[in-house]
Order: sequence, then C-alpha cells, then structure tokens
Amino acid sequence: MKILVVDDAPYMIKVLKDILVACGHEVHEAVTGEEALIRYSDIKPEVVLMDILMPSMDGVSATRKILEQDPLAKIIVITAVGKTGLEKECLEAGARKFISKPFKIKELVSVINSVG
Amino acid sequence: MRGIEYVKDYQEDIIETIPSTIIVVNESLKILYANRNYYLKSGMKERDVIGEKLSRVFPQILIGRTQIEEKIGDVFLTGKPFDGDQLRYPGGIFYFYKIYPLKEAEGCISKVVILLEDITELTRLEEELKDSYVKLENAFAELKENDEMKSEFILTASHELRTPLTVINGYIEMFEEGMLGGLDEIQSEKIQVMHSQTDHMIRLVEDMLDTSRLESKKFKIQRTPMRIEQIARSALEDLSRLAGLKEHTLSLKVDGELSYIEGDGRRIKQVFNNLLTNAIKYTPDKGCIEVIIKIEPGQVRVSISDNGIGIAKKDQEKIFEKFYTGSGHSLTRESGRLGLGLAIAKGIVEAHDGKLWVESEPGIGSTFFFTLPKT
Repeated sequence: MKILVVDDAPYMIKVLKDILVACGHEVHEAVTGEEALIRYSDIKPEVVLMDILMPSMDGVSATRKILEQDPLAKIIVITAVGKTGLEKECLEAGARKFISKPFKIKELVSVINSVG
Repeated sequence: MRGIEYVKDYQEDIIETIPSTIIVVNESLKILYANRNYYLKSGMKERDVIGEKLSRVFPQILIGRTQIEEKIGDVFLTGKPFDGDQLRYPGGIFYFYKIYPLKEAEGCISKVVILLEDITELTRLEEELKDSYVKLENAFAELKENDEMKSEFILTASHELRTPLTVINGYIEMFEEGMLGGLDEIQSEKIQVMHSQTDHMIRLVEDMLDTSRLESKKFKIQRTPMRIEQIARSALEDLSRLAGLKEHTLSLKVDGELSYIEGDGRRIKQVFNNLLTNAIKYTPDKGCIEVIIKIEPGQVRVSISDNGIGIAKKDQEKIFEKFYTGSGHSLTRESGRLGLGLAIAKGIVEAHDGKLWVESEPGIGSTFFFTLPKT
C-alpha cells in the first residue's frame, strides 16, 4: 500500500516508516501540512497518516484541504494530543480513524488495513 | 420599680466616668454641658467650652465636613435621633457620633445630646483587616494562576512525552515481533525489561494527564451502555498475572439482577484497575481480594475488599489526595509511583455522579466502595 506519513517529529516519521516498510508498504513523508498537500497530489497515496500538532498548518486543516482535493482520501489521524473532543473534531473534518499516541504496532496495522 | 431609682444619686458620676464623650447643646448650638471625657480628650478647659457655640469649640474643618450643625437642626426639627456617622478628628482620631433629642415634659425639644465614641482603634483594625483581605485576595489570585500554569505545564509536558515514548515503544515492539532480525535469549530478555519499563512510563504519563485534566475540569466522560460485571472481569483478568506473583486469590461476586448501566467503560475499568492494583500491592502474599457488585435501587455498589495491611484512620482521607504515596518522608517513598491512582479513581467516579470511599482497619484489611447511579 502507498502510505503518506505526515509528522513534524523526525523520529516519529522514522519509526512509522520502519514499521510500515517492514510490513511491506511503500512510505512517503511530509513534515508540514503544506508539504502534505503537495505530496498528496504528487503521489496519490492510498492512506495518509496525519499528525495534528504541526507548525503553521495543523493536521485538522490539512485533512480538510486534502479532502477538498480528493473527497475519497483515506486519512488516519495519529496524535499525542489527548484533548477531549479532538477525536470528534477530526472525524467531523473527514478523517476515517483516530489513533492516540502511544499505540501498539498491531493497532496501527489493523487500523490501516480497516481503511485501506 | 426601675433600677434607675437605685443609681439616682450617682447619675452624674456615671456620666462623668464613662469613656464616651457627651455634649449637650441648645437650639442656638451653644454648648450647655460636656462630660469629663470630653475635656480629657480635647485638652480644653470648661471655661472655654460652656456657653460657647459648637462651631467655636469644634475644629472648623470638622464642622464643615460632618455638617453636624445641619444634623443637629434636623433633630430639633423632627424630634428624631440622628443614627450616627463617622467623623475624623485632626490627628487621626476617629469618632462615631449620634445625636439624640432631649424631650421635655410638653414634648418640645430645647436641647440635644451629642454622643461621641472613640473608634480610632477599631478603625485602625478595620483598615488592617481590609489591607490583609486585599493581600490575601492577591495571594489567592497569584496562587490560582500558578496552579493553572502548573496544570497547563503538566498537560503540555505529558503530551510532549507521548511522541518519544511512541518512538521507543515502536522500536521495542519491532524487536519483539522480529521485524529487526532475530534476537538471542539475553537480548530478548533485555528488550522485555525495556518493554515493561516503557509501559510503566506510559502509564505514569497517562496518570499525570488524567490528573491535570481532572484539576482543570477538562475531564469528560463518554457515557454509553456498559456491563459492569464484564468490566470487572476484564480488569481482574488483566491483573491476574500480577496477583499470581503474590499468590493472591481473586474473586468476583454479583449480588442482584444485572443490566446495562450508562457510563464510560474505559474509565470505569481504570477505577477497577487502580483499586485492584492497590489491593494486590498492599496485601501480603497469599491474600484474598474480593470484588462484589451489588445492585441497589437506583445504583450499583461495588466493593473491593482485601485482607491486607489496612489504612490508619488518620490517613483514610489523605489517600485520596493526589501525590499521596503513604509516607510524608520523600526518601522513604516507594519508587515508581506518583500517588495519583486513588485521586484519579475518585475523580472518575465523581464524574459519573457516584461516590468512592474506604473502610479499613490496620492489620485486618481495607474495603474500597464506589457507587454508580443507574441513570
């Protein structure tokens, strides 16, 4: 599966990439919301893993923008923010699933498979 | 008979002795009488006072500021006493004064009595009190702000810790799953230690987050129908390994006909986990830990009993405070704990409009109770 990982933390990208590549996926990365929009239209990934807290454009806005480009985009939010109501906000913005950090590999894989 | 008959002969002595100032003036505002206290306070002589107009004897500034002459005029006019006001004498002396009409036989008034009480000390105390109140209010506001900043800091710090923990946890799991090549026995044993310690760190971070959420009232529960006995069973299963290490016997009893109740299943499980973990920890080996779910009218009552070390009466309130870890001495504290488990459990139960409390006897054991309304 072609997956776009969006996160501003370099090691977070690295671990997600290592896990997903080991599971046989093709992984692309973006470190800002703006870059995610460009990368999305360039590579047309099947799934996007989206961080929420990022400088300038946050993950919720990036999710909305990607869905404007492609209403069928499959976006999974992965976040460290445990704010009440955030999950609802992300799902209302059009994200398919919501994962809280820290997660288990099994959880990540099963969520990706469920939307992919 | 009125008592006044007995003191008739001493009336003058009484008036001269009392520590209040009494002045009598007539309609043309001339002073007819002033008691001894007046002379003591003002330092004036009788010959300079009696027969003089009030405005010549009282400092001019006082006459102007209090409008005492108009007030005396009103009392003559209406026959009603003036209820009183404060006046400030030069030199920082405060008085409280009242004016009473002296009614004569025909009901007409030709004299009034001015009664002055020295309230300097009282005023000073009042000022001090006001001052302390303002200081206290400021200190409270500052404390509240600091506390909010601290909660905000804990919230941010916990969030920031989650990402590196995810990274570490991810690689540990990759090792365990063999995604990074095979491990020999020693390596996998060390990875297991890292795994359990990372899990522990994750739990500490989550507890810190929950506490700061509970404090800042950002703690929300999501009510859905749940089966409490299933939640209890699942918590008991999760902790069976820990209980097994100490050879404890765990049991679950349901008393009454159970149905679904509304609540946040994940959070209620956390309550069971926290209470059971404590029971396991504070009960010597081969102990008995029993969970009883009792269906009562309008609510479900859960009790978790152990035959452990128990809790002294004086500590039974304190254990629900956050950061309480059983000893006031920071060096004798048991490591690996933040003392948040019971505070969180209580917060969760209260967010469900329930109650959580303990009954315990040192050396015999403890029973923690909580109730959840059926809604």
